[in-house]
Amino acid sequence: MPNRYLYLLSGLSWQRAAWTVVVALVATASVVWFFQNTFWDLLLSALCMSFTIMLAITIAGNLRQTFMPREGAQLLAVVFGSFLGILLVGIVKGRDLAQMFTERLWGVTVTTGLGIGFGCVITAAMILREQRARMQSDLVRAEAEKHRLEKQIMEARLQVMQAQVEPHFLFNTLANVQHLVEADAKAAGKMLDNLIRYLRIALPQMRESSSTLGREMDMAAAYLEIFKIRMGSRLDYSMNVPSDLRTQEFPPMMLITLVENAIKHGLDPCCDAGVVTLSAEQREGKLIVRVADTGEGFQPKPGGGVGLANIRERLSTLYGKSAGLTLEENQPRGIVATIELTQRSLASAGMLSPAVT
Amino acid sequence: MPTALIADDEPLLRAQLKARLANLWPGLRIVHEAENGRQVVEFFDLEDEKPDVCFLDIHMPGLTGLEAARRISKRSRVVFVTAFDQYAVDAFEQGAIDYVLKPFDETRLKETVTRLQERLAAPVTVESDSRGDPLDAILARLAAQMAPVGRQYLQWIKASVGSTVRMIAIDDICYFQSDEKYTRVVMEDGEVLIRKPIKELLDELDPDKFWQIHRSTLVNTREIAGVVRGLRDQADLKLKSRPEVLTVSRAYTHLFKQM
Repeated sequence: MPNRYLYLLSGLSWQRAAWTVVVALVATASVVWFFQNTFWDLLLSALCMSFTIMLAITIAGNLRQTFMPREGAQLLAVVFGSFLGILLVGIVKGRDLAQMFTERLWGVTVTTGLGIGFGCVITAAMILREQRARMQSDLVRAEAEKHRLEKQIMEARLQVMQAQVEPHFLFNTLANVQHLVEADAKAAGKMLDNLIRYLRIALPQMRESSSTLGREMDMAAAYLEIFKIRMGSRLDYSMNVPSDLRTQEFPPMMLITLVENAIKHGLDPCCDAGVVTLSAEQREGKLIVRVADTGEGFQPKPGGGVGLANIRERLSTLYGKSAGLTLEENQPRGIVATIELTQRSLASAGMLSPAVT
Repeated sequence: MPTALIADDEPLLRAQLKARLANLWPGLRIVHEAENGRQVVEFFDLEDEKPDVCFLDIHMPGLTGLEAARRISKRSRVVFVTAFDQYAVDAFEQGAIDYVLKPFDETRLKETVTRLQERLAAPVTVESDSRGDPLDAILARLAAQMAPVGRQYLQWIKASVGSTVRMIAIDDICYFQSDEKYTRVVMEDGEVLIRKPIKELLDELDPDKFWQIHRSTLVNTREIAGVVRGLRDQADLKLKSRPEVLTVSRAYTHLFKQM
């Protein structure tokens, strides 16, 4: 038999063969009083029938077909297998097949009927057992899915924690302050103020998983103020957030990642001055937050945009399909990154936050 | 009079280093200030008088300080300036490479200056023999470490949608299919055309995320709902979020054996 049809026999095992023998024994023992045949003669018939039926069921179960449900095909296989079984009995016992179906038709019919009866009971039991196994594996799979989601949430949380205060940012900013203290004390004070403002918002977020748009905007503003001094005249920024949107729930550290990207990958590589524009609006129950820059524009290259991919992942973990991050080219140059999410009140946003006791 | 070059992408930090050096080493003349590694290399290629010392910030846009140092290390003495690079600092310690940390520690900077002065006073020829290759090896290793680790795959596809250009996250893409000159990028809720051919995409996409199932088709593995035997030796692939059925050609049916 060519290998490509071998799959039809998958599931055949010594265990199944052993069960078949047991069923044949039980069947023979339970009907032997009814027949005139000897036990061994009947057992031979039962074995022939049960093995053909078992083979037929196995093949029907493996058959790739879409005409009927698998269970239906298996019950049909019982009937077909019983008929084949009785033919086999005839051949094994060296009977004349033509005579079998004329003179001995009564006996043949009874035997076939018994075969079908036992076959159906066994098949039903098999189908039930399989269904139970399938339910069990569904349960296992659901459990695994739950674990996967939990892991994803944990990872998202870890990412938030790690994204907090980048040492480069901190030390470089401090180096700037160090210089300004001597060169321009007033500017140094301003920079320190902004650094403190930034750290005040950024540091507590290691323990929190939800934030408000207002907080995130404040943090971005402090960050941008710092970079405005650090980058000299190369950076300018503007912010347009209606004050009633400031209390809206917004996931932490996403806005700052977008602003960081705008500076690092947008404005920094290209050498003339650039502008970062932050805006937020409310439309059809959705909160739309944009970060636009006038920088280099997106250079898609393998490995690029990992921070953005993290935002996408976190959004889909937190909000499912109702939230998303889109990137578009800004006119005349640069990128617009947009986060869109369904508005939720802070009270219902506890998915990621630690349990309140 | 010894000369020096300062490279940092932040103007205030250049000014700071310049001021500190003026204080600690009045005899040092700063001949050039660079904003990135490229400007450093350009300066070395164009100017005849090479600075004796180069203070290079490690993190600069474009060419990093490490890469710039590799290109000029034979022609000048390099001091790295960094805010926070633990593994780089470890390597510098082991390789006896000069470095200073930002924000500057006055005594530490002074040590560096003293060491530089001593070395500059020694005959240059002897020194330049003893350094050279080991330094290059350390820098090459560090530069490789600073580059993103492992094989990196495409995360976004750039495509025109109407009048705007959008970035499409590859996770949103159900499949790519070549269509004469273009490649169709099919998502759950629409499709766009890009010019990048399937062959190129195949090289840049994560092979675990996208499978080639036909000469002209790449399918997102997350989108595969099932595969059924089709005509001849082909197979039909059903998608989770699209109604159409994709053809798996014979050469690729092995992907779905036992699925």
